[in-house]
Amino acid sequence: MERSVKESVLKVENVSKIFSREEGSFGQKKLVENHVIDQVTFDVYENEFLVIFGPGQSGKTTLLKMMAGLEKVTDGIIEFGQKKISGPNPQLGFVYQSIALFPWLTVMENVEFGPKVKGEGKVERREKAQHYIELVGLGGFEERYPAQLSGGMKQRVGIARAYANNPKILLMDEPFGALDAQTRYMMEAEIQKIWQKEKRTVVFVTNNIEEALFLADRIILLTNCPTKIKSEYHVSLPHPRSYVDKEFLKLRQEITNNMDRTL
Amino acid sequence: MKSEKKKNIIATLLTIAGFLLVWQLVSMAVDNAAFLPKASVIVLEFFKTFVNPVGKYTMTMHILISLYRVGVAFILATLVGIMMGVGMGYSKLVEAILYPLFEIIRPIPPLAWIPMSILWFGLGDASKFFIIFLGSFSFITLNTYDGTKNVDRELIGAARMLGASERQVFFKVVLPSSVPYIFAGLQIAVTAGWSSVVGAEMVRSDEGVGWLIVMGMNKGNTIQIMVGMLAIGIIGFLLAQLTTLVERRLLAWNDQ
Repeated sequence: MERSVKESVLKVENVSKIFSREEGSFGQKKLVENHVIDQVTFDVYENEFLVIFGPGQSGKTTLLKMMAGLEKVTDGIIEFGQKKISGPNPQLGFVYQSIALFPWLTVMENVEFGPKVKGEGKVERREKAQHYIELVGLGGFEERYPAQLSGGMKQRVGIARAYANNPKILLMDEPFGALDAQTRYMMEAEIQKIWQKEKRTVVFVTNNIEEALFLADRIILLTNCPTKIKSEYHVSLPHPRSYVDKEFLKLRQEITNNMDRTL
Repeated sequence: MKSEKKKNIIATLLTIAGFLLVWQLVSMAVDNAAFLPKASVIVLEFFKTFVNPVGKYTMTMHILISLYRVGVAFILATLVGIMMGVGMGYSKLVEAILYPLFEIIRPIPPLAWIPMSILWFGLGDASKFFIIFLGSFSFITLNTYDGTKNVDRELIGAARMLGASERQVFFKVVLPSSVPYIFAGLQIAVTAGWSSVVGAEMVRSDEGVGWLIVMGMNKGNTIQIMVGMLAIGIIGFLLAQLTTLVERRLLAWNDQ
């Protein structure tokens, strides 16, 4: 199989996450434990578009944040390039659902933030930032502030900012979750186009089955909390995909039937 | 939009005119210049003081001298306030060291400090700086503290993911995202500092708008007292407007 030849760039091995916090008042404090992730193991392969898909209550975001080093694992190991992840690593790009642009910086300044903190020269980093601003279709908006942009445009900046830092892997946490349906469809097509142009390894978290199937090479389906891997799907439909294609709908039905229900 | 703005300005002017008119009518009914001088007399006297000196100086000089005192104290308050606020908001240790002390000093009104400030700093400008400083720095400290504490965690995460060091996170994320809070503090502090000018100039002085009031009190000159109050009010208003203007300029990104 083709996959077995491909190189694994990130390994998640037996990873668990338990959030614990103290609850109650003086005298009767107790430790409340919330078991979010339960012994999850999988690989991320070079240049694939991997979608982590699960019901609303699964620990998808927690899992992704652990892969980014933004959240500590309770148990298990996450390895990136033979090394254990122990904190944020600029070789991994992160795109937030909340977008998290720096509101006091312009589009250009946001996108060049990564190269700038690494000490790249002005000409070089501007050129790089300009390239990615144009790649996401925001040419002409370089001097705008985030507050002056629509939701879809803001997330384009978020994506350009992650790309401009030249990461090995892009981790995207429900990046289109806060957008309206129309913009969302547009952005899904856009991200596919960008990915075709600038191949990167992408790990994309979503709770939207259509989005998962539209984008993914491979889908990892998660269970409810405590989250395990329920199954895995390879999607080999050609791009650009159609939401009403027969094969697409068949897979959609299959995955939906296999999915845990949440209230 | 434009006509609405015009309407609001007219409403503001009408309120002020109405206030003066009511004052005028009441003062005419009371008919006791030492108890309640007529609004027209106060306004007229106010303008006259720009030409005829009161004490050693004309009104322009009194205002400039007071502004100088407030200005120096305000700059000091801004520096100390931002440093303390950022320190307490960013470091738990600094917070543990400074916050309780700060909260104990904060409720002591600037006026209560007058005797000690004379003892420590003498009768010159230094003690006036000290009192105005005390009247304004806590607002800057508190707001900055609030801003630094409330930095969006995701912005810090985003900066870390882009490779920012601890130092860069502080200077490129924590500090700039506190700026709107700092400005809110400066806005209150500039007014508070300016209003403590009277207290500061109660410490032996021969000039300043606060001195006008203190001197008027000593001489039983009601009109001079009210002229001093009017000057403080108008300059305070202008200072607040100026701060808002600077804030709008510097914080264009925050203008949704």
